[in-house]
Amino acid sequence: MSKTTDDTVHQTEDGARQTEDGDVPLAEGVDHQVAMVMDLNKCIGCQTCTIACKTNWTESGGREYMYWNNVETKPGAGYPRDWEEMGGGWDEEGQSRTPGELPEQEDYGRAWDFNHEAIMYEGSDEPLRPMENADWGPNWDEDEGAGEYPNSYYFYLPRICNHCTHPSCVEACPRSAIYKREEDGIVLVDQDRCRGYRYCVEGCPYKKVFYNAQTKTSEKCIFCYPRIEGEGPEGEVRPPSCAEDCPPQLRHVGFLDDEAGPIHKLVNEYEVALRLHPEYRTEPNVYYIPPYAPPQTSESGETVDADRIPRNYLEELFGPEVESALNTITREREKVERGEESELMEILSTVNNDDQYRLEVFDDDG
Amino acid sequence: MTADDATTLGGIGSRELAVAAALALAVVVATAAFPMIVDARAAYEIPVEQQSSAGDLADPTGDAWQSVETVDVPMSSSGAAVPGGSDAAVDSASVAAARTDERLYLRLSWSDASANTSTDSLRAFADSTAVQLPVSSEERPPIAMGSTDNRVNVWYWNGADGTESLLAGGAGSTTQIPESAVETNAAHSGDRWTVVFSRPLASDRANVTDIAPNEDVNAAFAVWQGANEERSGQKAVSEWYYLSLDPDDGGAPYETVLWALAGIAVVFTTFVTVEGIRRTRGE
Repeated sequence: MSKTTDDTVHQTEDGARQTEDGDVPLAEGVDHQVAMVMDLNKCIGCQTCTIACKTNWTESGGREYMYWNNVETKPGAGYPRDWEEMGGGWDEEGQSRTPGELPEQEDYGRAWDFNHEAIMYEGSDEPLRPMENADWGPNWDEDEGAGEYPNSYYFYLPRICNHCTHPSCVEACPRSAIYKREEDGIVLVDQDRCRGYRYCVEGCPYKKVFYNAQTKTSEKCIFCYPRIEGEGPEGEVRPPSCAEDCPPQLRHVGFLDDEAGPIHKLVNEYEVALRLHPEYRTEPNVYYIPPYAPPQTSESGETVDADRIPRNYLEELFGPEVESALNTITREREKVERGEESELMEILSTVNNDDQYRLEVFDDDG
Repeated sequence: MTADDATTLGGIGSRELAVAAALALAVVVATAAFPMIVDARAAYEIPVEQQSSAGDLADPTGDAWQSVETVDVPMSSSGAAVPGGSDAAVDSASVAAARTDERLYLRLSWSDASANTSTDSLRAFADSTAVQLPVSSEERPPIAMGSTDNRVNVWYWNGADGTESLLAGGAGSTTQIPESAVETNAAHSGDRWTVVFSRPLASDRANVTDIAPNEDVNAAFAVWQGANEERSGQKAVSEWYYLSLDPDDGGAPYETVLWALAGIAVVFTTFVTVEGIRRTRGE
């Protein structure tokens, strides 16, 4: 997937450092690192997060095609289509960037025109439908998945910018217009410095930087920083919209280096929250609890002791650590089944938003 | 030549000497004429023709340009540390310069079969060109966008977004200068772009090159081919040239002087040789 051709660009070392009081590696020059854990076992593919994000940030002005948050069906081509085949990220040493490709506009899908006019005002009795070019769009391959009946399988994968510790989009910009901000590691595009070169769009292996053809600049998920700064309407600190508006509340939001928080426990202590495509080596700060699925069944409907979602497929997405992560979750579930206590299961099944969203723990820092 | 060799020439007479003299004369004439025919300019000179009025100089196809000498400027990829930094499509541009008492006009023309004038979709990049001048003309800045202590002005034209006046102090530092005085007109025809930049010679603004009417100005040129997805450091660039505004540049350019010296040396050697033969033969 990664290109290591003549146009590999050599970059300076982007060393991680240790925090003063812990062992959580953060990007150089970053005081704390926001992070999110998404439990894929809870995602119902309702796209409420997608719409929450869209109504906040990408409704108009050249952003119509953008979904800073999208939910795609896996296995599937994703958004933009076949983004995992487009390169970007870092080589095996983590020092040379692989530039990656620009997607075609069609890979994202275009905004469709519907026949509202004909149906609503002209008395047409044709079904409501897009008028043309409706042959691809976000989550177009919804629920297709893979596998054979009765053991077909799929799951939903919500994706936002990963606000990586070693972001190849940042390295890709020759103007330093895209940067990790010091206080919390959120990756932002300085709209005054951006000249629309689109190297960041190419360079992000997750294809989470978008080119706005009206403003002629690139734009991306801002981790709802005004909300986490308490700049919203009520003046309260709130998690990003995609998290807060999620009906099954599948996201934890906080700081990776908040060692008393659930994210640190899930990522670093229990090691059940994993990075998507760790082999891209950008070190994402969005983590996933890998999906469980019912076991396979035989033709006659009997349960068979075999994984419905092939482990090797999950390894393709989340790396080899997925094996021990799923084993740990299985072990902890069995503890609860036996009536024992499990801190891990409590974290994963909490319904207390104060436990899920810990965004003010470092507010007293200088 | 040894004496033995000379004796083998024993038959040389006045006829042979006449041939030698004719040959020497031909060399003198050729050395004098050749540089006039091929290249009467100094290397890296862009002559600036003084015109009494602007006429249609602002028009890329204006008749006023017919009398202006055009310089073929070789270009190559910048080699900048961006993807494709060694892959530039354009390999030369034709550059002409003219001036009135108030304004400088620069006309750049280069071969590009397709006119790419949109950045309205994700994979659309616009054809562009630029002229780089030192902010202060005392010393040539580093060719790649100058440096923090020797900055450059860039007159930038982009087929999608028009004209910008830029300030840079090294790669990646390009910043737009508001209220640019640079104007452009562009035309694409016959598989070529032709773009005329013009600007008042004088400027009293900070960080904007003040072009003195009688002093040469360094200039470098760049072209981006949109069809090749060129932008940023992926571009074809020239070396530093200079706009010949100093009227004293009108004398014999040094190339011509060198050619003349070479001709004199050839004639001198020929006569020494002939005289040597004559003396060897005891004439």
